[in-house]
Amino acid sequence: MSRNLVFAAAIAGLSLSSSVGSPQAFAQKADVMHWWTSGGESRAVAVFAKEYEKGGGTWVDDPSIGPQAEHAAALNRIAGGDPPTALMWTTGVAVQQLAEQGVLRPLDELAKQGNWVANLPPLLAKSITYDGHVVAVAVDIGGANYQYYSVKVFHDLNMEPPKTWDEFLADAPRIKAAGYIPLAYGANAQQEDWLFSALVAGVGGKDLYRKVFVDHDPKAAASPEMEHVFSAMGQLRQYVDAGSPNRKWNDTLALVETNKAALMIVGDWATADFTTAHLTLGKDYGCQMAPGNQSAYVMTEDVFVFPATNKPDQIQAQDKLAKVMMNPAVQTAFNRIKGSLPARQDASVEGLNACAQLGTKIIAGGPDNQLPNFSLAFSPDTEGQIEDLLGNYWATPAVTPADAAKRLSRILASASQ
Amino acid sequence: MATPVPVRLEAPLASFQPDRAIEQRRVGRAYHLRGRAARLALIPAVVIMAFCFYGSMFWTVYISLTRSFLLPVYKFAGTAQYVRLFATPRWQVAYSNMFIFGFLDIIGTLGLGILLAILLDRSVRFEGIFRTVLLYPLSISFIVTGLTWQWILSPTIGVQQLVRSFGWTDFHFNWITQPETAIYTLVFAGIWHQSGLIMAIMLAGLRGVDREIWRAARVEGIPAWRTYVSIVLPMLRPLVVTCLVLVAIAVVKSYDLVVAMTNGGPGFASDLPGKFVVDFEFERANIGQASAAATVMLGSVLAIVAPYLYYELARKNR
Repeated sequence: MSRNLVFAAAIAGLSLSSSVGSPQAFAQKADVMHWWTSGGESRAVAVFAKEYEKGGGTWVDDPSIGPQAEHAAALNRIAGGDPPTALMWTTGVAVQQLAEQGVLRPLDELAKQGNWVANLPPLLAKSITYDGHVVAVAVDIGGANYQYYSVKVFHDLNMEPPKTWDEFLADAPRIKAAGYIPLAYGANAQQEDWLFSALVAGVGGKDLYRKVFVDHDPKAAASPEMEHVFSAMGQLRQYVDAGSPNRKWNDTLALVETNKAALMIVGDWATADFTTAHLTLGKDYGCQMAPGNQSAYVMTEDVFVFPATNKPDQIQAQDKLAKVMMNPAVQTAFNRIKGSLPARQDASVEGLNACAQLGTKIIAGGPDNQLPNFSLAFSPDTEGQIEDLLGNYWATPAVTPADAAKRLSRILASASQ
Repeated sequence: MATPVPVRLEAPLASFQPDRAIEQRRVGRAYHLRGRAARLALIPAVVIMAFCFYGSMFWTVYISLTRSFLLPVYKFAGTAQYVRLFATPRWQVAYSNMFIFGFLDIIGTLGLGILLAILLDRSVRFEGIFRTVLLYPLSISFIVTGLTWQWILSPTIGVQQLVRSFGWTDFHFNWITQPETAIYTLVFAGIWHQSGLIMAIMLAGLRGVDREIWRAARVEGIPAWRTYVSIVLPMLRPLVVTCLVLVAIAVVKSYDLVVAMTNGGPGFASDLPGKFVVDFEFERANIGQASAAATVMLGSVLAIVAPYLYYELARKNR
């Protein structure tokens, strides 16, 4: 308890943003904090709201602009003794760290009733469990290692989208010579993560991926295979355009949408962007797994956590809300709008877009195909250090692949201490 | 041997003395009361300063000497955080960038600001328009400044593209995307944003200079530039110091400009300590590293400010 108080005081001291006005807790009133503010996302959240309100409660939508703002506001409210009913949280290690502080309500009873663990991919089941207790609900799965390509560019050049990275490196000079950008890439931390994951799985293989991302093995990180991955990444530098540094992912995707670039390595959330731009799958753009990633699915997920509370009406609201979010039919309806996959494997994938469907087949191939993304694999601190390394390596050709691999190895070694 | 004259002179004064004493006492009491009220009114500010400002400062320094990570841990752990900090390549770049950016930004802003003030002081036509135009950047936030300069400097949509579209097709101006030069683009934006303010302050000072001094200099046949450098600017020393402090503060706290313009990139080539601290504190949930970095920032500022304050105090005592 005293530790929680210290935590609360620390958060209150650190955070400058003031807490949101405290809503009166009425029976079954669910105050839900999240950062889903784009058109498709907020329409998807409305599915949860509608389902929840069917049972007679009220849904209070409490969105923030981005995870950082949401985290700050939520921690303020938890510290001030007025937690929201539920809040979205950064996935993976961040959930574990939050659970470690004892501010999350264990959901074991509900999980057993709803048979959650058996119906989630093992990676996700692990990510929502802390110290043997289920502490979060997983509402969707995304894949970060897709390639979205311009049909026109490949048609004009009479080429096929690359199946391996070697194939891409062989084709890229021709694409460039024809006046197209071979690889749409914006050099920032987020896109570094996507590209690097797809390279480790595609060039180094799933074994190497698992050794580095799951076992955090410093030896594997410094291995010749990893040097090979870095050297492939280095060769890609010449195939991006001059505007690449620090470009946001949707601006980068626009290069593919306007047929200026051949392809981009991005997650399945890109579909929504193409749809918004009134482009048709198969006619204007295509999606495939990234080169060499045909049997690998780099998983991302979205989770909600429920802060511990002793107000009976809030506990009731949480129970109801968790059941709604983990209902297979609701997850299908939600993801049909959001564009990702239901987290529950027993939920129907009917009506989901073709790019997402591609992912379900790979996931169904078993746990061997399911790989964790950066936030499922590393703590925010380690993730940040690796992103610094990748950004520095990409921007500085003077750093050799061997140096980069050694630095990655050192980061993993210091993280496991 | 007292002469009668002073006695005579003192007599009327002496008769006034009781009144003066009362007057003095009255003024004194009022002064005393006012002083006490002022001190009372200051107490909240002092308490807030002591706890929030110095308290947080000492807390941060202390946390930097512990193993704190996601949460503060109060067990002393020596300099482990600093060892990791200075072994971090990103910090090495950010820290040295602070000096590059600080030095160039301060010199550039003060230089340009003073030069503009002098040019306006030479009574140009349409001074009002110039003054507004030059002061205008200050009314724009650093975020907008950063974004605008990002677009101007971007090789695909900015100046490079514009010049190329005029026909000079191999024109190169891609500083913002090159790790070696990105930090200098921040200096451009910083100078553009701040020099208007310096100009306004210095112009006010220049207008306050006694015209007699100019006349005297002209009589002596001293050229105008020499008058500025050797007479007028030294007279405005306090104003120059104020400007220096304003720009220096902007350098140390610069965060929004980097975030909006380069986001520390390419890689972390244009990172600055302010951004490093915020990233580690809030994004990476590593209080220990953030505190250590903040403490090094504080130490660096003190190392520069303390000798200067010492010098200024010594000057006054002389």
